[in-house]
Amino acid sequence: MTEIRSRFHKELSDLEQTLLTVADQAEQMVALAVDAVCVPDMDKAARVMALDQWVDRTYLDVHNRWMAVMALQQPIAGDLRMMSVLLHLNTTLERMGDQCVNIAKLAQVTFGLPRSERIVAQIREMGDLVRPMIRTGVEALVRRDLEQARLLPAMDEPVDRLNRNMYKEVVDCGPDPAILEWATRMMMVSRALERIGDQVVDIAEQTAFLLTGEMVEFNEEAVPGQTEHDG
Amino acid sequence: MTASTEAAPAIDVRASTATRRKVVDSLFKLFLWVSLGIALGTLLTLLIDLISEGRSRLNFDLIMNMPSARPQRAGIQSAIFGSLWVVGTTAAISIPTGVGAAIYLEEFARKDRWYNRLIELNIQNLASVPSVVYGILGLAFIARGFLSLGFTVMTAALILTLVVLPTVVIASREALRAVPNSLRYGSLALGATEWETVYRQVLPAAVPGIATGTILSTSRALGESAPLLLVGALTFVTFNPDGFDSPYTVLPLAIFRFISEARVEFRPLAAAASVVLLFLLLGMNALAIFVRNRYEKKLR
Amino acid sequence: MKAEDYAPARTEQAPPAIRVEAPGAKSDTEPSDDAEIVFDVVGLSVYYRDFQAVRDITIPVRQKEITALIGPSGCGKSTILRCFNRMNDLIEEARIEGSVNFHGIDIYEEDVDPVELRRRVGMVFQKPNPFPKSIYDNVAFGPRVGGFKVNMDDLVEESLTRAALWDEVKDKLSESALALSGGQQQRLCIARAIATSPDVVLMDEPCSALDPIATLRIEELMQELKEDYTILIVTHNMQQAARVSDRTAFLTVDVNEVGQRTGYLVEFDTTNRIFTSPARPETEAYITGRFG
Repeated sequence: MTEIRSRFHKELSDLEQTLLTVADQAEQMVALAVDAVCVPDMDKAARVMALDQWVDRTYLDVHNRWMAVMALQQPIAGDLRMMSVLLHLNTTLERMGDQCVNIAKLAQVTFGLPRSERIVAQIREMGDLVRPMIRTGVEALVRRDLEQARLLPAMDEPVDRLNRNMYKEVVDCGPDPAILEWATRMMMVSRALERIGDQVVDIAEQTAFLLTGEMVEFNEEAVPGQTEHDG
Repeated sequence: MTASTEAAPAIDVRASTATRRKVVDSLFKLFLWVSLGIALGTLLTLLIDLISEGRSRLNFDLIMNMPSARPQRAGIQSAIFGSLWVVGTTAAISIPTGVGAAIYLEEFARKDRWYNRLIELNIQNLASVPSVVYGILGLAFIARGFLSLGFTVMTAALILTLVVLPTVVIASREALRAVPNSLRYGSLALGATEWETVYRQVLPAAVPGIATGTILSTSRALGESAPLLLVGALTFVTFNPDGFDSPYTVLPLAIFRFISEARVEFRPLAAAASVVLLFLLLGMNALAIFVRNRYEKKLR
Repeated sequence: MKAEDYAPARTEQAPPAIRVEAPGAKSDTEPSDDAEIVFDVVGLSVYYRDFQAVRDITIPVRQKEITALIGPSGCGKSTILRCFNRMNDLIEEARIEGSVNFHGIDIYEEDVDPVELRRRVGMVFQKPNPFPKSIYDNVAFGPRVGGFKVNMDDLVEESLTRAALWDEVKDKLSESALALSGGQQQRLCIARAIATSPDVVLMDEPCSALDPIATLRIEELMQELKEDYTILIVTHNMQQAARVSDRTAFLTVDVNEVGQRTGYLVEFDTTNRIFTSPARPETEAYITGRFG
């Protein structure tokens, strides 16, 4: 049987390709934003803003193309699930971009303030945990790999832990108001990174929906690999 | 919700209660069979009667011999050849004319023109005119009068053409009408002219119907006797026709002559000649059916 | 491949351009308004004696696009289609007003030869109507009556190949066309139509007599044919129009006091626009099934 909806399926895979490009940019934005805060580097902060404008424009463009496919091609079955994934992915990536912008703005606002190297190290560590998460989540989608998608909740755990820990670190900074101002802002940075981690887990949930047809929440309590789908 | 207290009637599709309907059904079928039996039986009886009466004379002599006053030597060679000449010429004239007229009426005539509607109306009428009338017409205008062809093969052919032409036209029109319009539209949409469409698509598709119709019409010509009597088809002829202007006789008339003879020895001859005529007629009909089947298979 | 090994392309320079095409993708979702107009229909009305079947239709049909006519039954879509190749001439009571311009010339002018027009504007009908001849003779018929001086074998092969039928029939060209399946017969009719190298191919509900898979195969074929021919399709299947066409015209019926039905044009726009956010409420009502 030969392909008989080639135009439609090509448009579907083009949409996926576009979003993969956006995901790639998102990962880069996380790297830049974390550097902006930790080094600190204001050039990188500005670059994050510029990239986000591109992300926003792409979001609109993908949305329009998505609408066209939905209206004109009547997707069903796996194609319909893919459309759901793409819609969700589009929104999630756009939000990830916004979180990076928040981080960059916080970097700009706290420029010149005294810092705590412990906190800086933790932020960096969170960044170094989140970026591989993005790569893994995207690859799980690209390769349609359910097992890989199920790795994400475990990868998110340390990020959540570090975020919860941040409060203690802020309190430990001492009474100096300048450092406190910096530190409380850093807590918001940490929160933003934790949100990005959660968003990547969302992407993995969507991948699981695409592959299994069932929408299941990945929560931290569930041990990865032992959801109700397992034997 | 409580269950209904009344049990629904059981559904049983086995023995039907309507036996009266079945009886009527069977009776009807019986009636049809009986009718068929009567028709076939009559035909068969006739055939058997003919054959048994003419059996003694059904041999090659019959076909090879010319008519003679002496019954032992009489044959129907001249009648057979006469029929072949006349019917052949009739076919040669009536088929192109009839098919051509049918093509004009079906494919090219504008149906709202008054003269076309007049023609339409009259063709049906012409087909049901008794052939004797054509004989009279022929006597007045073809044998004598305007054409003055005399009592010849050509005269006979022209008269028989008048007899069978309406039937040829009607049969050809039916055949052309049976060709679906989708064929014509398909052809025209490809940039063919109307004539190309008729010549290359419609006509070839209508050939089986036309062939059947023309063969059947021609076989009718074979059996005509009344009109030819009126235009001097001789009954006692001892030669075969040698041209369109030759005198002639035909098979039905030869049979007529044999019957009219007082001497009873000629009876078997009449029967035998009838068998020959029947044989020819059946042969032509079989040909018509064969042609139709052959072509219908191709189109499927 | 481990997560760390996944190394996407790094661009340290400026971000990609606004309209994101994924690598290698062609932007063919929106038809261009610059394309040449092949058929310019202006104020077309069709009358059967005194009855106005269709009124005041104005549609520009653009080069190498697929234009669809949709609407409820009786709105005159097929009547309009038959105006493009003057097949309405065959209906004695039909007459038209307005103009149908083909490459600038009104095809209803005195000196236009309908036979030549039909060579350049091919037609595929609703029910496949192959001639009761061989497959070869079916395809060769148009070129033969058109007096084409070409190698007929090559032309037949090329036409059948373009109609995605060659592989299935190449060993049985001399067999009857009527032995083919419905979908194959329709592709044969398409091959037959394109054998005369037309500019435009008119399709009157070409898939309505076919099963769903055969239908999709012909839709796929139309996408390929679009590269060489302009296609105008009438369809009562809205989803088909959505899948296949670049521009769509929505027509509907007006019923007058005596119950006569006259078709008219409601909206004509790119298919994307018609099916995502049509301008007219009648269009929206029909497409979403809230009609009547």
